[in-house]
Amino acid sequence: MLINTVLMVLRELLPLCLLLATLLVWHRALWRHLLWCFVLPSLLLLSLISLNMVWISEQLDGVGLELLYSLLYISCYVLLCISAFNPGYAVWTSALSAACLFSISGSHLLLYIWLPGQADHTPADLLLGSALGAGIGASIAVLWYYLLAELKQWRSSSYQVLLSLVGTRQVMMASALLIQSDWLPAGPQVWHSEHGLSEQSELGFFLQALLGYEATPVLSQLLLYLLCFTLLFWCCRLMEKTR
Amino acid sequence: MRSLRRYLVTVLIALFTLISFVAALQSYKQSAIRAEALFDQDLQIVASSLLQQHQVGAQQQLGLALQVWQKGQLLYRSALAPETSMSDAEGFSEHNFAGKRWRVYRQMPNDELTVIVAQPLQQRQQLADEVITASIYPVVLSLPLQAILIWLVVSKALSPIKRFSEQLASKKANDLSPVLLEQVPAELDQMLKTTNQLFARLADAFEREKRFASDVAHELRTPLSVLQVNLHNASQQWHRSGISDPEGSMLALQAGVERMSALIEQIMLLNRTNPEHFQARTELLDVAGLCRQVVADWYPQIDRKHQHIELLGLEHLSLRGDAFALRLLVSNLVGNASKYTQPGGTIQLQLSATPDKAILVVQDNGPGIAPEEYHRVFDRFYRVGGDRHQSGTLGSGLGLAIVRDIVMLHQGEIGLSQSDFSSGLKVTVELPL
Repeated sequence: MLINTVLMVLRELLPLCLLLATLLVWHRALWRHLLWCFVLPSLLLLSLISLNMVWISEQLDGVGLELLYSLLYISCYVLLCISAFNPGYAVWTSALSAACLFSISGSHLLLYIWLPGQADHTPADLLLGSALGAGIGASIAVLWYYLLAELKQWRSSSYQVLLSLVGTRQVMMASALLIQSDWLPAGPQVWHSEHGLSEQSELGFFLQALLGYEATPVLSQLLLYLLCFTLLFWCCRLMEKTR
Repeated sequence: MRSLRRYLVTVLIALFTLISFVAALQSYKQSAIRAEALFDQDLQIVASSLLQQHQVGAQQQLGLALQVWQKGQLLYRSALAPETSMSDAEGFSEHNFAGKRWRVYRQMPNDELTVIVAQPLQQRQQLADEVITASIYPVVLSLPLQAILIWLVVSKALSPIKRFSEQLASKKANDLSPVLLEQVPAELDQMLKTTNQLFARLADAFEREKRFASDVAHELRTPLSVLQVNLHNASQQWHRSGISDPEGSMLALQAGVERMSALIEQIMLLNRTNPEHFQARTELLDVAGLCRQVVADWYPQIDRKHQHIELLGLEHLSLRGDAFALRLLVSNLVGNASKYTQPGGTIQLQLSATPDKAILVVQDNGPGIAPEEYHRVFDRFYRVGGDRHQSGTLGSGLGLAIVRDIVMLHQGEIGLSQSDFSSGLKVTVELPL
């Protein structure tokens, strides 16, 4: 169905577009360099994962792919911390961070497009749905870019908070996969906000792409989130002071 | 933003894309929901048709009419169907019966059996309308949102231009400092640079002009003073030695030097009171007192010429102005009146006020100025009748130019007219209170 394709493309592209827009604001003067550094590792990682997907998914009692994705999400976060902590390699590490996220999104999309038995979409649905999803994702990213550029100019600390949220979102996604694979204890559920703000609603969808919103987070996720957010924000503050 | 064009193009495209695509998705979702309802209704109709034999009236609720004919005999008809055939043509057609317009479908599986199904057209149109309206609503509702967002984006994009024009508009006439803007877009950058370069050149030119006129006048004043002393000494020497000067060369020379001195003084004053250079130090002044002082200053000359001077009107009038400039204004007007009025003539100063302005009138019963000359006497170095002024009085042609500059400096107005006496000039100066 058309709507499924749109949601699938948007779910995969929106977080990547938001991360890229955030990084482009950060490295505004070196945006070409950033994009070049992003493209090559992205394609390399995507090729490696796509070509070995079956083998990876069979590893570690069948949770190889989930663990690989978790690793990539965590790498994405760690590279962002390194970028903030060490401005000398900031462009490279930022680009690699985005490449990690791209490899996850790209492999999901490839899987969706070419997975045998995906009979619920026609080529026309796929084309139109991809165009709609990509268009919405890219448009939000453009608006996000200009909003951040304004914030960075007038209120630098707001930009740092948003950058930290976008970075910490990757840890939230990794923790969800680790809990799903039983590699992280779930613990008690902290709250249930599905009725107030559903993950399936437009706002919930956007917040999940931006800061990893979960309607039913568990304690371990929440603690990890707070810890990682504080660490990345501290790195950003340190970067600002160093500058 | 670095470039207005890039900002407007990217943000507007992003906005249009986002809103259009979201509206399209909403239309899709709403249409799907309505279509779902429509298909559900079809299921209900089929179910009701099958149950009809047991539940009479089910089709009536759904607005469907059914007939089954076999060899011209009506085997079955629903409650809404007439006793006659609803359609004689095979396939789809439209007919009127039971007071409505119907869409009819007739099918003949074989020569003996005929099934005719009909649905009111109004009901069909209503269902079609529901689906179409559901798909149009999001698009229509997105338009005001698009309009508001476009307005915001364009306002934001044009804000540097607005700030630029506001800074230019708020500049005072003598403020030639550069315009400073943060985050200047590429399209405005060159305009800002050129404007600031122009301001810088203009400031340099004014400074040079100011310094040049002042320096020249200052440099000339010293040798002229020496020349005046030497002429005076020479004149005394001639007098003591009994040298006669039948052609009056020495007197003419002294008069020439005196005129040149006066001219230099006036040039310096003109330079000083030029609105482009002058930094007024406004304070609250008593104009009546100032006029009395000026009359006292000029009184020796007026008395020498046996002229009569009077100060009428208000005894106290306060206004905000520059003391030096206003004193010079009154002094030039009184001095001109005295200079160009014949001995024994009358000079009159009159001071009055309205709620928002002070009015000073200086008039005399001298020869006056022809009305066609009024607009020219404020020009620098312009003298009525040229250097051979009929009064024979020394003058530089700068006095009224200085007066006009001072009036402009105080955002006032000046006018010339015929004196209230039988002849002479009347100068009216209005200054805001």
